[in-house]
Amino acid sequence: MSTDLTAALAATSPAPRTRRRPRLLPRARAVAAAALVLVVLLALVGPFVWGGPALQELSRSLEPPSLAEPLGRDHLGRSVLSRLAHATRLSLALAALSVVTSALVGGLAGVVAAWIGRWVDTAINAVSEVLVAVPALLVVLLAAALADGSLLVLYVGIAIAQSVEWFRVVRARSAVVLAGPAVGTARMLDLSAWHVLHRHLWPELRPVLLTLAAFGVGTSVIALSTLGYVGVGLRPPTAELGLMITESLPFWSQAPWLVLAPVLVLAVTLLALLGVRREEPSA
Amino acid sequence: MTVHLHRVVVRHAGRTLVDVADVHLEPGRAVTVVGESGSGKSLLAHAALGTLPAGLAVHGAMSIDGVPHDVGDQAGRRPLWGRTLALLPQEPVLALDPTMRVRDVVAEGAPTFARDRRAARRAALERLAGLGVAHAAGAYPHQLSGGMAQRVAFAAATIGEAPVLVADEPSKGLDVAARDDLAALLRRHVEGGGVLLTITHDLDLARALGGDVLVMREAEVLERGPVEQVLTTPTHPYTARLLAAEPARWAKAWMRDGGPPEGSPLLVHAEQVTRTLGGRRLFTGLDLDLRAGDRVALTGPSGSGKTTLGRVLLRRHPVDSGRVTHHDLARRRGRAPVQQLHQDPTQSFPAFVPLRAALGDAVRRHGVAPGRLEELLGTMRLDPGLLERRPGGVSGGELQRLAIIRAMLLHPALLLADEPTSRLDLLTQEETLDALMGQVEQQGTALLLVTHDTSLAHAVADREVVLPGGVTTPTAVLAGR
Repeated sequence: MSTDLTAALAATSPAPRTRRRPRLLPRARAVAAAALVLVVLLALVGPFVWGGPALQELSRSLEPPSLAEPLGRDHLGRSVLSRLAHATRLSLALAALSVVTSALVGGLAGVVAAWIGRWVDTAINAVSEVLVAVPALLVVLLAAALADGSLLVLYVGIAIAQSVEWFRVVRARSAVVLAGPAVGTARMLDLSAWHVLHRHLWPELRPVLLTLAAFGVGTSVIALSTLGYVGVGLRPPTAELGLMITESLPFWSQAPWLVLAPVLVLAVTLLALLGVRREEPSA
Repeated sequence: MTVHLHRVVVRHAGRTLVDVADVHLEPGRAVTVVGESGSGKSLLAHAALGTLPAGLAVHGAMSIDGVPHDVGDQAGRRPLWGRTLALLPQEPVLALDPTMRVRDVVAEGAPTFARDRRAARRAALERLAGLGVAHAAGAYPHQLSGGMAQRVAFAAATIGEAPVLVADEPSKGLDVAARDDLAALLRRHVEGGGVLLTITHDLDLARALGGDVLVMREAEVLERGPVEQVLTTPTHPYTARLLAAEPARWAKAWMRDGGPPEGSPLLVHAEQVTRTLGGRRLFTGLDLDLRAGDRVALTGPSGSGKTTLGRVLLRRHPVDSGRVTHHDLARRRGRAPVQQLHQDPTQSFPAFVPLRAALGDAVRRHGVAPGRLEELLGTMRLDPGLLERRPGGVSGGELQRLAIIRAMLLHPALLLADEPTSRLDLLTQEETLDALMGQVEQQGTALLLVTHDTSLAHAVADREVVLPGGVTTPTAVLAGR
């Protein structure tokens, strides 16, 4: 596009300060946000409303959904809704914790590597290359297998696996910004490191970080449930989405709601997380 | 083949961007549209081609060899692209597909491409050979120099044998030699009976092409006629102003014949400096002294290492051998004695931050006197309201003046201006350099001007360092004014 053209168009647009790129499908984002709010509500409020996720009533095994028990009961007569609420809380809490941890660790490492460069960059990068060469889930799987279903180890494994992603993205983006003429000019003006972080790096990184965080929550939720599903994650009788799917699979023809409920929560959570991402703004 | 445009009007959001009564393009006579950025000259050409972006209201009629076309129906001319109408784009390196080899890019446009790829490739090679770039056939676009890329783009644009060629700012970013080359190519097209419409703000290109010239401003054609008449004895005052904006015709208070006063302190001493970059020897054994108030132009063709030399002298780029010493150019609070202006000012400001915040940090860091920023804004005739915007929301000329303000806030001793106006049109260039040189004169700053425009270098600098650019010539030539 010729500058002539863009200049002419820019000149005719209203006040540039308030100018934003039109959001992609605002309605889709609203729906996604609403779905996410519902899932979070289920996680926050649900466990208090429907208690006793491990409470067994064998006489009521595989009871179909009713008004009192909207999702029925599983093969051990436990309330599926209660288990679902507790499992969702567990998944989201672990995901949030992992994302915050990995963002801090990976993000800081990324900025430090890009800022200092030289051997520091080489060293941190080498560690990340090793970790990235191994599939992330395998890292978590190894950790989980060693620790035999400990929640703490699962959290550490997921956080480490995700830190690599944060590190790589933040480092790549920061390196471009830090080597650019804008930061060069700031250095010639003898401006502080705080100025570079606050005015140059952070505004450039912020949209990427939000996107990464949304993806990170999704990956954590998936990782936890995948491990539960294949039987190396948390141990029964913990209410966990992956475990719930595994446990109810044998009864899928008699009581399909048992399988569908956790699958639905997973699908809605992940789609909503993808949907709420804002498009990255351009200068 | 003749092309006539009648009453072409382009509007956007209630503003008229183009309103041109008629343009006649005839074989064998070049037509060139000149004017400043935003005058609508590019839009006119794209309206004729049918390549305007959506969202613009377009009206008008055109006839191509007597066949009528509705200019408003932009898609209507699509079947003519490449066969009848062809576009030579600006910045050819960006226009060529970076993932394809040169001969394949060119072959895609050949009329036989759909039926016989072999023949298309042969035609592409022939055309490249005819333009003297046969050796580049196997290269990728990023491996080409600016001048070579321009020839390749020319080959790609003309392989379809389209009689009507539209060139949109074709000389942008080219040095003098490459521009003369380009003018020769375009003239060859005209002499071969082709129709040529060129859009440019480069009056030298217009002169080299000959034929007719149209001067546009604010959507309208102000003056038209044979080049030699319009560009020597203009009748419209705006054309006269445009001509006076050419550096060769400047008469400014800050222009001078001598150098800085005798005995000015030495700032930079470069001794036997040598630098090789990417296997190319840029300069060898170069000696250069810069004193306070010096004005030195670093010139040479693109890729000759002008910018590298500038950054070497600032000690912001390593040398292979030799030494660059600075005298009293250390930074501390209240003093940032070495500054740089970039070719693209948008890249020298933080992109997502309002300009006031970006400039404010420098003001606070160095305790700049309150009111100094406003005073400089006033001197450069800039609206303080611009500071509330982000760099992307300010025009190139205004942003470059803001960059000048930022650089000159702290009374720097040495300023490297790296092609500060090469992306600006003539009038904006004059305004920007006037603002810059006013400050340089007032503050006694030493200036290193990197430019490929020799007339600009003559107008601004006391002396020039000419980098030859060729691989063979080993030493830089020091040329007097």
